[in-house]
Amino acid sequence: MFSAELFTQSLIAGIVIGIIYALMALGITFIYSIVKMINWAMGEFYMLGSFVQYFLVVGLLGPDLWWVAALLSAAAVFLVGWLIEPVLIKPMFTGGIERRDDYATVVTIALLLLMRNLATALNGPYQRSPGTNLGTVMLGPLPESGARLAAALCALAAMVLFWVLLKKTWLGLALRASSQSRVGVQIAGVDILRLDQVAFGIGVGLAGVAGALLAPVFLVFPTNGVVTTTKGFEIIVIGGLGSIPGAVVAGILLGVAESLGAAFISSPYQNAYGFVLLLAVLLIKPSGLFGERMRHA
Amino acid sequence: MTSPVLAATGLVKRFGGFTANDGVDIAVGAGEVRGIIGPNGAGKTTLVNMITGVERPNAGEILLGGAPIGGLAPDAIAARGLVRSFQVARVFGDMSLVENLLVPYLARRGRLAEGEARARDLIGRANLARLADAPAKTLSGGQRVLLQVAAGFMCPQLSVYVLDEPFAGVNPVIKDTILDLIATERRERNVTFVVVSHEMDIMRRLCDRITVMVEGRVLLEGTLEEVASDPRVVAAYLGKPLR
Repeated sequence: MFSAELFTQSLIAGIVIGIIYALMALGITFIYSIVKMINWAMGEFYMLGSFVQYFLVVGLLGPDLWWVAALLSAAAVFLVGWLIEPVLIKPMFTGGIERRDDYATVVTIALLLLMRNLATALNGPYQRSPGTNLGTVMLGPLPESGARLAAALCALAAMVLFWVLLKKTWLGLALRASSQSRVGVQIAGVDILRLDQVAFGIGVGLAGVAGALLAPVFLVFPTNGVVTTTKGFEIIVIGGLGSIPGAVVAGILLGVAESLGAAFISSPYQNAYGFVLLLAVLLIKPSGLFGERMRHA
Repeated sequence: MTSPVLAATGLVKRFGGFTANDGVDIAVGAGEVRGIIGPNGAGKTTLVNMITGVERPNAGEILLGGAPIGGLAPDAIAARGLVRSFQVARVFGDMSLVENLLVPYLARRGRLAEGEARARDLIGRANLARLADAPAKTLSGGQRVLLQVAAGFMCPQLSVYVLDEPFAGVNPVIKDTILDLIATERRERNVTFVVVSHEMDIMRRLCDRITVMVEGRVLLEGTLEEVASDPRVVAAYLGKPLR
């Protein structure tokens, strides 16, 4: 049964969740474009962000200061990424490793297993929720969960901040330059290895923000990053690997596809609609909506 | 020559069983323009790569202003004032010309406003003012080379500039522009240049001295007239005497 009201509601719900998915995808694509690697442990940084958020809200700040907790969670995840990078990722460039892609895949999957099992050991299999005092918000005649809406607005703010960092600061200039030529920035006198470290921290920090914002919406548990990571990679393929606008647009598209599919086709298959979208994009434009055909120099 | 600003002694670089540089010595004085010529495969680019930190020497020592730089990373060497250009221009295609030039400037903690003024001045002197805010990927091959050469001049503490084949595949007008840029920076900042090129006419106009490399070694060194009249250089490289 088609109703305009249900359609609008689903559309808004899809956009809201899509914006948060996009944050995750942004982190993946950003790390890829600077460090030239896929971080398969992205979902575990999402998980870490959600746990930090949970403990800050429940143990320290209370649900009203959820936004302070989210900022602190983002900072904590950035810091963890920033500390891990020199140990695990940097040897990719300094250790005389010939097959860098393989190396990155192996170490990040190892990191994924370590983080997931560490979380299970420390937390147990329990699912937690920090709770929220944000009630339902009416968008016109349509109800929307306050926590979701707040999460989407914060995700949007994080994206704007990220954009300002890239476009308006010296660090952003260096990051954009190194996404185009690593050798080029090195001969310009930029220490690319330190840039990698910052980029890795920022990328996983974006996943951490997504985890923190979604903590009251989805539950907090050791494997809660799995689904969002899958979404993140779906978005990357739909939008085009390495494209920042692609990640944002595809994130929203994915959210909308899932939401409309669930409302008008069948809700148990919610996670499948994104893959239908993915297959359609692969058939029509295999490099993704915003992707450029890859050329290895 | 007073004490050289750039000195390499006994440089060796092997790739598997092939010895690309086999005990190369070179010393360049402050403010000098040194040319490096030699047949393809003589090891010129390998030498440049070692001096600028792109390749790590198997043996030998490199001194910049008396301090050892052998084995340092390219960015650390650039920070000490030794900058290079590549034969295939490495520009940041999605960034504007001004932004391209700001990268080397800001890397050394320069001020943004000063950097932008300097970048626009340099772009003007490179006859690219019309394109200053266009993305670098819209440039032609020759203009990219020009942009890359200009980027080196943005380095605030530039003392030695190594140019690897800056004139290859570039039209005569751009060649003259590059020569003008080199002359100006040499005059105003006493920059030392090391230029690898096959363009003998340009090398005659540009270089104080020429180092001839053959098969991974320095064959001889002298003014262009001196080296061009050496029968070994004629046989190994020039093919016939220069007139």
